Amino acid sequence: MNSTVASEYSSEIHTTPIEHRFNPYSDNGGTVLGIAGKDFAVLAGDTRQVEGYSINSRYEQKIFNVGDDIVMTANGFAADGSALIDRFRNQLKWYKFDHNNKKLSVASSARYIRHLLYSKRFFPYYVSTLIAGLDDEGKGCVYSFDPVGSYEREQCRAGGAAASLIMPFLDNQVNFKNQYQPGSDGTEKKPLRYLELDEVLELVKDAFSSATERHIQVGDGLEIFIVTKEGVRTEYYPLKRD
Amino acid sequence: MFLTRSEYDRGVSTFSPEGRLFQVEYSLEAIKLGSTAIGIATSEGVILGVEKRVTSPLLEHSSIEKIVEIDHHIGCAMSGLTADARSMIDHARVSSLTHNLYYDEDIQVESLTQSVCDLALRFGEGAGGEERLMSRPFGVALLIAGIDKDNGPQLYHAEPSGTFYRYDAKAIGSGSEGAQAELQNEYHKSLTLKEAELLALKILKQVMEEKLDCKNAQLASVTKEGFKVYSDEATEKIIKELNEAETED
Amino acid sequence: MAGLSFDNFQRNKFLVSKGFGQPMATSTGTTIVGCKFNGGVIIAADTRATAGSIVADKNCEKLHRLSPKIWCAGAGTAADTEMVTQLIASNLELHSLSQRRQPRVITALTLLKQHLFKYQGHLGAYLIVAGNDPTGAHLMSVQAHGSTDIGEYQSLGSGSLAAMAVLETGWKPNMTKEEAMKLCADAIESGIWNDLGSGSNVDLCVMEVGKDAELHRNYLTPNVRSEKLKSYKFDRGTTAVLRSSIHDVLDVEETVITFGNDAMEVDA
Repeated sequence: MNSTVASEYSSEIHTTPIEHRFNPYSDNGGTVLGIAGKDFAVLAGDTRQVEGYSINSRYEQKIFNVGDDIVMTANGFAADGSALIDRFRNQLKWYKFDHNNKKLSVASSARYIRHLLYSKRFFPYYVSTLIAGLDDEGKGCVYSFDPVGSYEREQCRAGGAAASLIMPFLDNQVNFKNQYQPGSDGTEKKPLRYLELDEVLELVKDAFSSATERHIQVGDGLEIFIVTKEGVRTEYYPLKRD
Repeated sequence: MFLTRSEYDRGVSTFSPEGRLFQVEYSLEAIKLGSTAIGIATSEGVILGVEKRVTSPLLEHSSIEKIVEIDHHIGCAMSGLTADARSMIDHARVSSLTHNLYYDEDIQVESLTQSVCDLALRFGEGAGGEERLMSRPFGVALLIAGIDKDNGPQLYHAEPSGTFYRYDAKAIGSGSEGAQAELQNEYHKSLTLKEAELLALKILKQVMEEKLDCKNAQLASVTKEGFKVYSDEATEKIIKELNEAETED
Repeated sequence: MAGLSFDNFQRNKFLVSKGFGQPMATSTGTTIVGCKFNGGVIIAADTRATAGSIVADKNCEKLHRLSPKIWCAGAGTAADTEMVTQLIASNLELHSLSQRRQPRVITALTLLKQHLFKYQGHLGAYLIVAGNDPTGAHLMSVQAHGSTDIGEYQSLGSGSLAAMAVLETGWKPNMTKEEAMKLCADAIESGIWNDLGSGSNVDLCVMEVGKDAELHRNYLTPNVRSEKLKSYKFDRGTTAVLRSSIHDVLDVEETVITFGNDAMEVDA
């Protein structure tokens, strides 16, 4: 006999198996950006951490001074971000043990982070990573990474939830993209120049207050890490909390 | 029953009651049988000089390789059971290349030396559960010459015991005793690279049994331009210079 | 053609199966509340409209008029709340005209729930309906599938939990108008601060028995944008003029007509 008892749950009997799957990732919002200047570099990020439509925290640090005047952030899935930074901090310590307390350069850090990221090529850290500091010549530098370790040194980069809002603004205001010399009829690009620190800080604050206006995951506070030859210092500015 | 010395030198990892590891000590003896190798560090760079024992006139001298490149900024001279150096050199090359891969920079000379010495004790099991790689200690010592951004030109001596020291000038091998004494007399901090070349050959000449020529001696240098093994012609030229200088005296 | 068109239903289903999803409609995140008081009823809403995680409108109107004294606050799909509200407003007016009576809140609610039920939840409208009619002040809510509730205080939308927390804490029977206004505004603000789907300002509508409904558009504005630090004016000529062409839309002809001494001909 192969019969089933008719019941009011009959509509819930499935003909195909139901697949249940654990999703190991989540998106904790937030946005970060880095700009390199002539003799300084800044890394800035909002301090809000979200999950869905809820705010986990209005102040959760996500940019860190990892040592050797290098600042680092990994934005996206917060757990992966802090795991990556912890691992890098650890490695920096080992580097010092292994190499006689040598200072790790930003370029070497970048190369090492690539390997941290690529070593999880098929279960990646779900983050956009930025590091900033001064290069061997004392010039400001920013390195940006994709989740699996492709990296590049850049003048500026935005990452995270509102990256698509901020990056075009940075292209235009830092690298003067789409700006031409008046009177040249679009034949001569506006000449590049290094921005001063106070100009950069104004750009950063405007970028974040504007991103806060139009992105629901951005807000609460803005923390800026500034690297100069004097060392690393931070500034904090409140952002809108809605 | 009282155990004689010979019974404590069986196991490589067995201490004698006096606290000695005989196998390691014997390996140091093996080096003393090797051909002489000299290293001299100057502010301009490091000079390595080796004696090559051309035991037969039918032997192709260029096939005796006692100075090798580890990376573009590090070179090494050896003395003792040179076949044992193969695995050390391999390890050193891998370490240097891996460091460059991971950090996008040249490995420091000291770190490189350390990594070679890490290998020296692998005739026993490692503390971290690493398997035993070799049945006995290495029978070879290395003079590691290199240059890096932080510490400039450097010379290290690495022994089979796994210890290493940095030297201004060092000689190893059969003629090392006399050579080291001579180095101590002649070395000074303001030595130029040129002077070091001459000094290395001069000392080799003194301690070698054969007459010095470009076939039984070889020079190499590490400067900020990198590692370079001198050609026979270049070596010959310096030997000539040396001979001329000596006849003048 | 009246009503909705289902011409593309099959095509869309096919596209979804091929991995092309439906286009995103604006606003699922919202906070709306309603609260009765001694002598009337109040509804309130935030003013943020979202498309995914982007703020589509910083100051939209979520309070809709169904009739002069019956208003409703809408959460859910913006287009659905607006269209359904306009449709029911029309039908309510027609009904009121044919019956020669003031429209009732329960009538509005019934029209809404029957319409929404018909669409089996596919119209994403979640509404708080409130107002005065000859039977008194009323506060009700209706969900997209057609279910309805009646209560002294209500909240709906993604910020409904944040708002309800405030309502549950602050509500008491027989509040004054001012107390109720404060409670509603506080509840919305709770949504504005704590729910990412809600933000910007508070709109509020007071419907007092025997009086005209009062809409307080932007009753609170706790999120005024800060001034930018830099000026982003570009020098004239910064943008390249790559090509320019001028088209004459009409030919202009000039003719000079001189008037002689002879008088104008007025009649043939």
